[in-house]
Amino acid sequence: MPAAIETIQLTKTYKSRSLGLINVVDKLDLTVQEGEIFGFLGPNGAGKTTTIKMLLGIINPSAGEGYVLGKEIGDLNVHKVISYLPERPYYYEYMTGMEILKFYGSLFGIRDEKKFQSLLERVNLAGDASKIIAQYSKGMQQRIGLAQSLINDPKLLFLDEPTAGLDPIAHTEIRDLILQFRNEGRTVFISSHELSEVERICDRVAIINKGVIERQGHLDELLKGARIEIIADDVPKETATKFEGPDTIVSYSSNRLIVDIPEGANVGAVIDELRNAKASIVSVIPRRRRLEDLFVETVGGKNAKKLVVESPEVVA
Amino acid sequence: MGAVWNIAATTVGEAIRRRVLLVILMIGVLLLTIIPSLSVLSARSDDSVTVGTMFAVMRGTSALLAIVLTVYMIPNEIERRTIYTILSKPVQRWQFFLGKYLGAVLSLLLMITLMTVFMLVVYAIFQNHHASRLLSLAQQPVMYWIEMSLLAAVAICISTFVTPLINIFLSFGVWLVGTVLNPLYDTIANNSKSIPIMKSISKLIVSLVPNFADYDTKNPLINPGQPIQNQGLYYFTTIFYGVVWIALLLIIGALIFDRREV
Repeated sequence: MPAAIETIQLTKTYKSRSLGLINVVDKLDLTVQEGEIFGFLGPNGAGKTTTIKMLLGIINPSAGEGYVLGKEIGDLNVHKVISYLPERPYYYEYMTGMEILKFYGSLFGIRDEKKFQSLLERVNLAGDASKIIAQYSKGMQQRIGLAQSLINDPKLLFLDEPTAGLDPIAHTEIRDLILQFRNEGRTVFISSHELSEVERICDRVAIINKGVIERQGHLDELLKGARIEIIADDVPKETATKFEGPDTIVSYSSNRLIVDIPEGANVGAVIDELRNAKASIVSVIPRRRRLEDLFVETVGGKNAKKLVVESPEVVA
Repeated sequence: MGAVWNIAATTVGEAIRRRVLLVILMIGVLLLTIIPSLSVLSARSDDSVTVGTMFAVMRGTSALLAIVLTVYMIPNEIERRTIYTILSKPVQRWQFFLGKYLGAVLSLLLMITLMTVFMLVVYAIFQNHHASRLLSLAQQPVMYWIEMSLLAAVAICISTFVTPLINIFLSFGVWLVGTVLNPLYDTIANNSKSIPIMKSISKLIVSLVPNFADYDTKNPLINPGQPIQNQGLYYFTTIFYGVVWIALLLIIGALIFDRREV
């Protein structure tokens, strides 16, 4: 299957007065196959949006190569068959939903009102077509954003945080639309923090941290291996720190301890340790490995300092 | 050019709804309405003072509108991320830049036309002049529009590399130098008795800063007995001068914007 996106050692370097040259994206090797939903994950400031901007030709790479639908990035012909939904998009507030589609359509030379109407129907905004954007809720604005991104019938969609700040119903609606895109044979490149959403809809993912790709592959392969979650109450803090380890996720709050260990680890030893500390065990639950676990394993260790600052209760 | 015109049209749509611009415009219109009526009340009702003041108000208001409208145009698009959605379509950066500029120029045309209509109606009511006089007065706003288009080109060019606040001062400074000091430097540069070093400095300034003063042609309108010599040629060369400067500023602005990280 041909690659919809391919980057070879793609790098973006910025000059900082205090830190000198910084590689915001560092030698990025990424492959996204046609027709798949690809999740691009990473903590804030990891380089996700910079990568998308480079792929869209909005900013120029400092080094390396990048190809979108077989053409070099920045090729204006590619822009006819791709689309982009930015994070928290803004649309001219005085325009109606229909006028927004007319405006974005005009940038492609498309003036087909029937098409605009059908796009509005598709995103459940047909009844609100004559309302101005200022009257739209966040979810409606996101849906009009998706409608504008479909105007040119794109082969490849870039969606930056498509469900950020939306309520659960809007989440479901957006997720369903994205799944429909895959059924129509489109490639979808999603940058997101919503790991549970990504896990539900993506075929493959890449995790970027500090500009470097840490993991990349099929979700099934990356999430191989179940985990066991042990919850205990009345645990002294000294005992909690004993469980820290490279593949163990420990969180501790108000004397409640949650230890998340790999399936093969010694569960009995953990339970014995807790009993010795006179802790009461609440539950021992075996569960499938989640994307969140993979994400924390990949990024958490390297950003440990940051995690402690953000959540003082997390001890590892 | 389709994308350019569509971007220009949306820019007009946004500009005519920006509250700060509407407030400036309303103050300008209000002042234009008051001036002729005050002259009726004054003991020395002087047509030349009325016309002179009205044009001064219109010019000042237009300059303020041109600067406030243009300095925020590109930075706002970047801050609100609208630019990313547009540039991800088959639109080149120069098309976006030109579309925004044309939108500003068209918005200024609408606003100056509105002020002109108000000015002429109020003037006709209070000063009771013939239609030919009103028609001759209508020539000046056209020159102001060209002048403000030039000022907008200065502001949008500067907006590609400085923040809006600094741009307000820079653009206003360029307009002030080009309006007040340019004719003075021009006189020094063309005077054979001037000191050579002063002449060189004056020539340099005259070459670097657009001359806005030539667009203020109200004197012959205030004093109809002193017409501009070769009027047609004067208007042609002044407009041509403006168009050349605008083209130059837009090319420089587009080249900087093309290389800018957004």
